[in-house]
Amino acid sequence: MVRRGILFALVLGALALLTISFRSPTSGALHDAQGYGASALRPFEVAAQRVARPFRDAYGYFDGLAHARSENKKLRREVRQWRAQATQFQAQAGRAQDLERLLRVEGGSRYPSDFRFVNTSVISFPLGPFAQQITIAAGSNSGLKVNTPIIDQDGLLGHVVAVGPSTASVQLIMDADSNVPARDIANGVRGLIRHGAGNTLLLDQVSKEQNVEKGDVIVTQGTVDRRYPDLYPYGIPIGRVLTVGRSDIASYLTVQVLPFARFDSLDTVAALISTKKR
Amino acid sequence: MNGVDGVKAAVVLFVAAILQVSIFTQVRVLGGVPDLLLVMLVAVALLRGAMFGAIGGFLAGLLVDTATLGQLGLTSLVLTIAGYWIGRYGETTGRDRAHAPFLSVAVITFLYSFGLLLVHFVLGERAPAGAIARGLLPAIAMNLILTAPVYTVVRRLLRPLERGDYATEVQLLG
Repeated sequence: MVRRGILFALVLGALALLTISFRSPTSGALHDAQGYGASALRPFEVAAQRVARPFRDAYGYFDGLAHARSENKKLRREVRQWRAQATQFQAQAGRAQDLERLLRVEGGSRYPSDFRFVNTSVISFPLGPFAQQITIAAGSNSGLKVNTPIIDQDGLLGHVVAVGPSTASVQLIMDADSNVPARDIANGVRGLIRHGAGNTLLLDQVSKEQNVEKGDVIVTQGTVDRRYPDLYPYGIPIGRVLTVGRSDIASYLTVQVLPFARFDSLDTVAALISTKKR
Repeated sequence: MNGVDGVKAAVVLFVAAILQVSIFTQVRVLGGVPDLLLVMLVAVALLRGAMFGAIGGFLAGLLVDTATLGQLGLTSLVLTIAGYWIGRYGETTGRDRAHAPFLSVAVITFLYSFGLLLVHFVLGERAPAGAIARGLLPAIAMNLILTAPVYTVVRRLLRPLERGDYATEVQLLG
C-alpha cells in the first residue's frame, strides 16, 4: 500500500512539474530553478564531452579520409564559382551602400558587423525525434536571450528557445516547428525555410512564377518591416538549392535546400549578440 | 537493502543521465538512438525492486529534463512508470531469470518510446509516430547490446537480494 502511495505521489509530482513547466516555459520560479540546475550540471556535461571528443575526432578523421578525394574536386569547383560571384557581389555591395545613403535607409542590425560572437560548445544533442533542440554551454551570463540567433562556422543553426544562467536550449532549423524567412541571393526570391525530408530543408511558399535554380544560395531574409522585426538579421547563409520541383497540383515550387551547417557533427557554435542600441 | 544501495543507484543513474544527454544522443544508427539511462534504470529496478525503479526513474528523468532545459516532469513521468513496472517484474516473475534483463530492456524500450509519444500527443506537441516506429528496431538492438555490460556492472555494485528482502505483496506460486 505504501509503495503504491509513493508511486502515486511521484506520478502526481511529475504531472505537477509538467503542468507548471508547460504553462510557463520561459519564465517563473520553476524555470529559474531549472536554469540553476542546468548550470550545476554543465561541468559534468562538458567533462563528458571532453572524454568523448578524441573518439569523435578519430571517427571524423577516418570518415573525412574516405571522402577526401571527391570532396576536394567538389571544393575546387566551388571555389572557382565563388570567386567569380565574390567579384560581382563586391561591386554590387559598394553600389548598394551608396544607394542606401542616398535613400537614408534605416535598417536593423547588420550581419556580421553589428554583432558580437559568443563562441561556445554544444553540451547535449537532440534527445529524440520529438524536437530538434541542442543545449549550449552559454546562457544569460554571456548575454544570450530567448530568440538569440545561433550559427556555426558554415551557416545558420537556429535560435535560443530557453535560457539559463550558463546554458541555453537552441531550436534547430531542422525542427518541424521552425520557420525562417529566407531569400535566394541570386534573384531575391523570398520564402520560408522549413524542415524537409531527411537532412534537407525546404524553401516553402515560393510561387511557381518565380525562378529558383539548382545551386542558388539561400540566406536569412532579415527584417522587412520594422513593425515586425525578424529573429535573424539579413544575410546569414542557410544552404544551397539542391532540387527545384514543379507540380501541377501544388500551389508552390518544391525547393529542396541542403543546409550549410553540419547538423550531424555539431561541436562549436556561436551566438549572435546585437551590439546595436535599439 | 540499505542507504548505501540508494547512494550507489543514485550515482550510476546520475552518470548514465549525463552520458546519455552529452554522448549517447549523438550515436544515431538507422534513426535509432541507444538509451544508456533506460538500460541502467532497468538494471537497477530488476536488482532492487519497484521502489528503487520508480524513485530512480523520477530523479533520472528530472535530471535529463533539467540538463536539456526541456519540459520538467515529462521524462520523469514516463521513467517513473517504467522503473516501477520493471521493478515489479524483477520482484516477481523475472526473479533469477537469466533472460529477464534482455526481455525487460526490449519491452521497456518499446513502451518508453510510445509512452513519450503519448505524452507529447496529449500535450498537443509534435508526435512523430512514423519516426519513432522507424527508429524502434535499431534502438532496441542497440539497447540489447548495452544490456549485458551494463547489467554486469550494476550487478557488481548492487548484489542480488535474498528472497526475503523482496516485496511480499505478490505471492509466487511454485
